[in-house]
Amino acid sequence: MSLLIGAISLALFWMAAFTLWWQMHAWRTPETLASTRFESPAGGERLSFSLLLPARHEQLVLEHTIDRLLESGHRDFEIIVIVGHDDPETADVASRAASRAPGGRVRVVVDTHETKNKPKALNTALPHCRGDVVGVFDAEDQVHPELLAHVDHAFTATGADVVQGGVQLINFHSSWYALRNCLEYFFWFRSRLHLHAAKGFIPLGGNTVFVRTAVLREAGGWDQDCLAEDCDLGVRLSSRGRKVVVAYDADMVTREETPGTLMSLLKQRTRWNQGFLQVYRKRDWRELPTFGQRMLARYTLMTPFMQAFTGVVIPVNAAAALLLDVPVGVAFLSFLPLVTAIMTFVFEIVGLHDFGTQYGLRVRLPHYLKLIAGGPFYQVLLAGAAVRAVWREQRGRNEWELTSHVGAHLTREDVPA
Amino acid sequence: MTSTLTAAPVPAAARSADPRRGPAARPDVRFRSSRPDLLLCGALLTAILVVQGWNIGQFPTLSDDEGTYLAQAWAVQQGHGLAHYTYWYDHPPLGWIQLAGLTWIPSLIAPDAMTVATMRTAMLLVSAVSAVLLYVLARRLWLPRWAAGLAMALFGLSPLSVVLQREIFLDNLAVMWILLAFCLAASPRRHLWHHFGAGIAAATAVLTKETMLVVLPALLVTMWRFSHRDTRKFAVTGAVAACALIGFSYPLFALLKGELLPGEGHVSLWEGITYQMSRPGSGFVLGEGTGSNGVLRSWLYYDRVLPVGGLACAALLLLTPRWSVTARALAGPALAVAVLAVVALRPSGYLPAMYVIQALPFLALVLAGGAASAGHAVLNRLRRPGEARPLVLARRSAAVVLALAAAGYVLPRWYEGDRTAMTADANAPYRAAAAWLSTEVPEPARTRVLVDDALWLDLVHAGYRPGLGAIWFYKADLDPAVAKTMPRGWRDLHYVVASPTVRRDARDLPTVRAALENSAPVAVFGAGEDRIEIREIGGAERT
Repeated sequence: MSLLIGAISLALFWMAAFTLWWQMHAWRTPETLASTRFESPAGGERLSFSLLLPARHEQLVLEHTIDRLLESGHRDFEIIVIVGHDDPETADVASRAASRAPGGRVRVVVDTHETKNKPKALNTALPHCRGDVVGVFDAEDQVHPELLAHVDHAFTATGADVVQGGVQLINFHSSWYALRNCLEYFFWFRSRLHLHAAKGFIPLGGNTVFVRTAVLREAGGWDQDCLAEDCDLGVRLSSRGRKVVVAYDADMVTREETPGTLMSLLKQRTRWNQGFLQVYRKRDWRELPTFGQRMLARYTLMTPFMQAFTGVVIPVNAAAALLLDVPVGVAFLSFLPLVTAIMTFVFEIVGLHDFGTQYGLRVRLPHYLKLIAGGPFYQVLLAGAAVRAVWREQRGRNEWELTSHVGAHLTREDVPA
Repeated sequence: MTSTLTAAPVPAAARSADPRRGPAARPDVRFRSSRPDLLLCGALLTAILVVQGWNIGQFPTLSDDEGTYLAQAWAVQQGHGLAHYTYWYDHPPLGWIQLAGLTWIPSLIAPDAMTVATMRTAMLLVSAVSAVLLYVLARRLWLPRWAAGLAMALFGLSPLSVVLQREIFLDNLAVMWILLAFCLAASPRRHLWHHFGAGIAAATAVLTKETMLVVLPALLVTMWRFSHRDTRKFAVTGAVAACALIGFSYPLFALLKGELLPGEGHVSLWEGITYQMSRPGSGFVLGEGTGSNGVLRSWLYYDRVLPVGGLACAALLLLTPRWSVTARALAGPALAVAVLAVVALRPSGYLPAMYVIQALPFLALVLAGGAASAGHAVLNRLRRPGEARPLVLARRSAAVVLALAAAGYVLPRWYEGDRTAMTADANAPYRAAAAWLSTEVPEPARTRVLVDDALWLDLVHAGYRPGLGAIWFYKADLDPAVAKTMPRGWRDLHYVVASPTVRRDARDLPTVRAALENSAPVAVFGAGEDRIEIREIGGAERT
């Protein structure tokens, strides 16, 4: 029993410690932090962009998004809105925008697949892309007008094949889980993704991702059967040695919103987890050249499941050590995972503070308290999503559970708490 | 191949123009690849090792505390737990656990070498590491090479340091850890991991000797000053959290053993702390005739330069941060000196002789920093480009005169002090007493002796039973588990070794006092106050 508790404790400790360490990647040194930002664009614009905007039952937010994109300062880009043949409301909004826009900047492509999902929509639009670079946005995204110029510069300055910009959930004040969800994004795009770029294995994000059109076509576009097509694309491209660059600037991120209900968050997370599981089973990551990269891939793709596991085991383990009669040394060991958990909490609090500073949002004491108190419950949610994902994957249920958007981040963006 | 964007030019250099903002242009110190630094540090290290190592077992007098810690380290090595008597939370045990590790290999090779005089050699390693760390720290705090060397020399060669750093005191180990923490806090790379490590090292220092707690604010100041604005909140929070979490392991340990709070039939951390906090005060340190004043005088007897000069420089640096880069860079060490001085000035506090140990590195740093500031002022203050040659010469000669005057004052005194340390033999009575007890007593295994901690291990190696045969004298009165084995009090004992410590403390220990009164000397080594008497307990009454 002592041996078991000791072994589990050490395993948990190392897992949590690694995760924490990677999560803190961007803040390792001031130089690392400086390198995660976009360089300010110098010189002319060299590339043309095709921006894909898949929209499904999103007539409420689509128009605003297109208008924002049209405000972009870049000289050479087109917007391709992809709508379903069975979704006339959204199609109406899209064609109205297309007719209003100058010089055919906005085009509409109709996806006629019987069952619809995002990768199918994107693949439908891929042949129509005329730009050097394909960019993907979601219908509810708020895109910064300067973003394209910066991405252009990032491509030409680094010779990258892929540029991933930052995506940030902003509506942390909406609910306790929105708070945690925002922070997850913050740590992921602000920090962890840069580590992946540096290590040469990267699961890309779902939007604000830019790929050279030729590279994307050569890779055969997106995987239509994968629930995490974004992650899959990143894994496939980086496994083949394509150069991926990540850049994050608080004023240049694409702002998004958390799912409106706990249930939709659970569904979204289930879909991602299932997607990660599918990517893991596709084994593209095995082509990665070094052992370290393959281990990172394995670990990253399995993270949701380990997270679920640790969330349950840490308290049980500590309780077992306290209540059962084990030697003091073993009881000591059993507290190690708790130490990393507390450390994670501490860094989350600091992260929340930094998030507030970066975005000019006023984070107040109740938010910090919510962050701490919500931690265990969020862990339960994550564990639930992980279990649900495994369950659905086992049963072969692959349909796309879409998250609906209400536009909370649009109306509330400047309203702090 | 994938990568993040190429690093933008480091903004630190641009921002550093404003001196109040913090670090000015950071001199990039790469200790390991700098040949002059390595040579200077190596030369000084050799000198320190020779001066501290030569005659280490003979001077200064073996202290009771040394015996305590080493005996407990021995108990750890022997698998007796944290002490051979009940561990009662007098100090956190990490110090002698390290000591056990440090002396582990020698004690495997020669078990009998595990005695205070011999194992002082292990402290040389600690001194060496501390001295090198101090040099590195001085460089990281932007002192010029010569000043870093000066700090190291002050720290390692002052007669006060030589005497105290030779002894097996937990404070010496704690100093090593806190210096490591400072070095990491002032790391030029400002890596999150380094700051995190600083927190861990600081916690280790506190768990080695709890009095290091008061130095932590100074560490925080250093870390604040030397971290980068953009990553500071993560770095500092990480360090504080790491330090706190590791520190909490001590109460957690007590909790897991069921000894956190007082209770029937067991010791507790709570009682340990209340004992330490309520130790009878030794009086105001500047008050005539108090115990604290005596301790202060004993420090000043060995060296005045380091304590007095260091205090003065600390005050100077704390008052001049607006004008001096050195003062800003050394704010942490100067604060450490100030805090330690204030704590020592408590009117009713208890001031042990080893208290000054934890101040030594900071005194050395600020004194060297003060010298660097003075040197800079003499050579460069108000200097204009193209200054007239005579003026330059005047500045240089003034600097040389100052340096010579300082050397002329310090060196003869230090020479005298260090010569004593390298030649005097203060422990002949101890060695003779140990020899007598191991040869003249017929059946050590069945003999019970009250002895002070410094001699205890010698007796154990001579065949006395550890704990109940060879008995730490005060345990006869203070440890119920020992007293229980002596139902007839002093009559159950055979010898008492009356060393100065035993005679001094017997006043408050009835059993020990009775043993002294009912015994007669059979062998006396040394003379006067420092003599050691081996006294046999009165034969007739014993049976």
